[in-house]
Amino acid sequence: MATVTPDLQRGGGPGGEGSNVLRLGKPFRYTVLILVGAFFIIPIVASARFSFLGNNNSFSFAAYTQLFGTPQFWSTLWLSVKVGVGTVALTLVLLIPTVIFVHVRLPRLRRVFESVSLLPLVIPSVVVTLGVITSFRNLPNIIYGTPVILALEYVVLALPYSYRTFDSAVQSIDLKTLVDAGQSLGAGWIKLLRFAILPNLRAGLLGASILTFAFCLGEFAVASLLSFTTFPVFLVQVGRLEASQAVALSLIALIFTWIPLALVMIVFSQRRGARRGVGVESAIEAAVAD
Amino acid sequence: MSETTEVPTSLGRGGVEVELRSLSRFFKDTAALKSLSMRADPGELVVLLGPSGCGKTTALRMLAGLDAPDEGTILIGGKDVTSLPAAKRNIGMVFQSYSLFPNMTARENVEFGLRVRGQRTKERSDRSSELLGLVGLSSMADRFPHQLSGGQQQRVALARALAIKPQLLLLDEPLSALDAKVRAQLREEIRRIQLELGITTFFVTHDQEEALALADRIAVMHQGRLEQLDTPLAVYSNPATEFVAEFVGTVNRLRGTVVDAETVDVELVGKVAHSYGQALSPGSRVQVLIRPESLGVTPAADEGAEVISRSFLGASTKLSIRNPAGDPIVVEVSVAEAAGVADSAKVRLFARGEALLVRPALP
Repeated sequence: MATVTPDLQRGGGPGGEGSNVLRLGKPFRYTVLILVGAFFIIPIVASARFSFLGNNNSFSFAAYTQLFGTPQFWSTLWLSVKVGVGTVALTLVLLIPTVIFVHVRLPRLRRVFESVSLLPLVIPSVVVTLGVITSFRNLPNIIYGTPVILALEYVVLALPYSYRTFDSAVQSIDLKTLVDAGQSLGAGWIKLLRFAILPNLRAGLLGASILTFAFCLGEFAVASLLSFTTFPVFLVQVGRLEASQAVALSLIALIFTWIPLALVMIVFSQRRGARRGVGVESAIEAAVAD
Repeated sequence: MSETTEVPTSLGRGGVEVELRSLSRFFKDTAALKSLSMRADPGELVVLLGPSGCGKTTALRMLAGLDAPDEGTILIGGKDVTSLPAAKRNIGMVFQSYSLFPNMTARENVEFGLRVRGQRTKERSDRSSELLGLVGLSSMADRFPHQLSGGQQQRVALARALAIKPQLLLLDEPLSALDAKVRAQLREEIRRIQLELGITTFFVTHDQEEALALADRIAVMHQGRLEQLDTPLAVYSNPATEFVAEFVGTVNRLRGTVVDAETVDVELVGKVAHSYGQALSPGSRVQVLIRPESLGVTPAADEGAEVISRSFLGASTKLSIRNPAGDPIVVEVSVAEAAGVADSAKVRLFARGEALLVRPALP
């Protein structure tokens, strides 16, 4: 502490500026927090208010009741959910063995895989879509003419989110040692994955799944180019005819994305809390024991 | 460590003979192991000792089946296991980094190897209780790894490795992440358990003190080769090579002249006994390697070496001395003998033991 205090008082330099900001105290921090919060919340509140406006500025559920009564609402939502679930499943099937193999057997190629996973961010989705259409033209109709092609495309496009999330989770554990330990204890790969590895990567798997699912639920360009009326495509179509319904749809889409996110965060924060509660006592005892 | 128990009779097994025949391993152009051959007797604890990059961990991983040799054969209990995968070798291994599965309690970790073997819950539970008792952690069976200290985690890792009744136990620098006090304590425990179980054990370390304290025999390795495989006493007092002499313990390298087949005349020290057995004719200039405790000091009038500094080691004192040419010499003497010479004082050296090695002087 003695060495930190003079720096705080002197200010200046890269560390000094940060210290000055910290010394501005609670009012400044709360102001920043409120401004940032307002930046995100005001448009949502305004949208919600607009979606509940009826004739003569009265409060009305009309936009929502009309939407829920539209058969296309449910069919497009169901299509997006199906594509999302399929994309998540395919992503996990490809991602889990690939990332684990790279970490355990080919660690030097990790940077290469990271770079490749970012390509969908720099290549416009129109280009990717045209590429997929050209490449997959000769595939059987069960893939090319159905939403399966959409799922295949989303696996690639969601890679920057899914790969990095899962890769970070793998990096947070000493995977190679755990694999070595498991193998030396007689476990084959399936038992090793089931009992020892995947349970420790649960957070990464859930994070990658949710981000991929959220991506599928909000993607418009590729679905539109491939002529699939998914939920976002329906949203745009509705927006051209009825603004309040389009805004209501946007809010519903937001809620559909937030609910699983919130559930996961609640579950994980409770687990962490429970473990931390026991952990504090144990850490003290462990320190004494040694 | 609050509890220790006697080894249950069900744990005792006796060891197997292990033999490495001409093991070689290459990483691109670098040879990590160069034709390594050695044999461990049943129930023996062999320490693989050497600096970083000498190939000791590579050899251990090959024994475990986690790495495959490019050349050579591994025999465990007389059976060739060279191409057998790790999961089928029935070898217990403790790693340098904490390797407990974070999602499992200490008990679940110990039971893991039995679980993948399909053992019933009751048998697994009995076995894990036995082993957690053996390593003194019965009361912490339900704790997760993050609730255990480093020493406790390594004890659980040891119990986990022993739970599968391995034919061979491998320990890859299991103490290196622990502080000195816990390290010494756990070292004693590992040796106690190993002796009581009679399990053949390979222990990798770069810590010479650890090796000398633990081993039945020490295999000193350097640049992928085995320099010497012998008892701790023989490795320390009769090193096969200059590398072994310098790596295991401290050694002084002094100039001298061969007197006869059993004596060399060392500068500042005088006559020192040594059976070097080499064809060095009397009068040859040589380098003499001698341990600090094989030298003594007496005060000198004006000429001689100069005491630079001293380190009190408890039972003895280490004196850092500089000869007239400016070369450093380390001498370890009794506290009383050290008290007889002051700092910056001129001293004379004398031999109270044999030289370790005598080598022809560099031109």
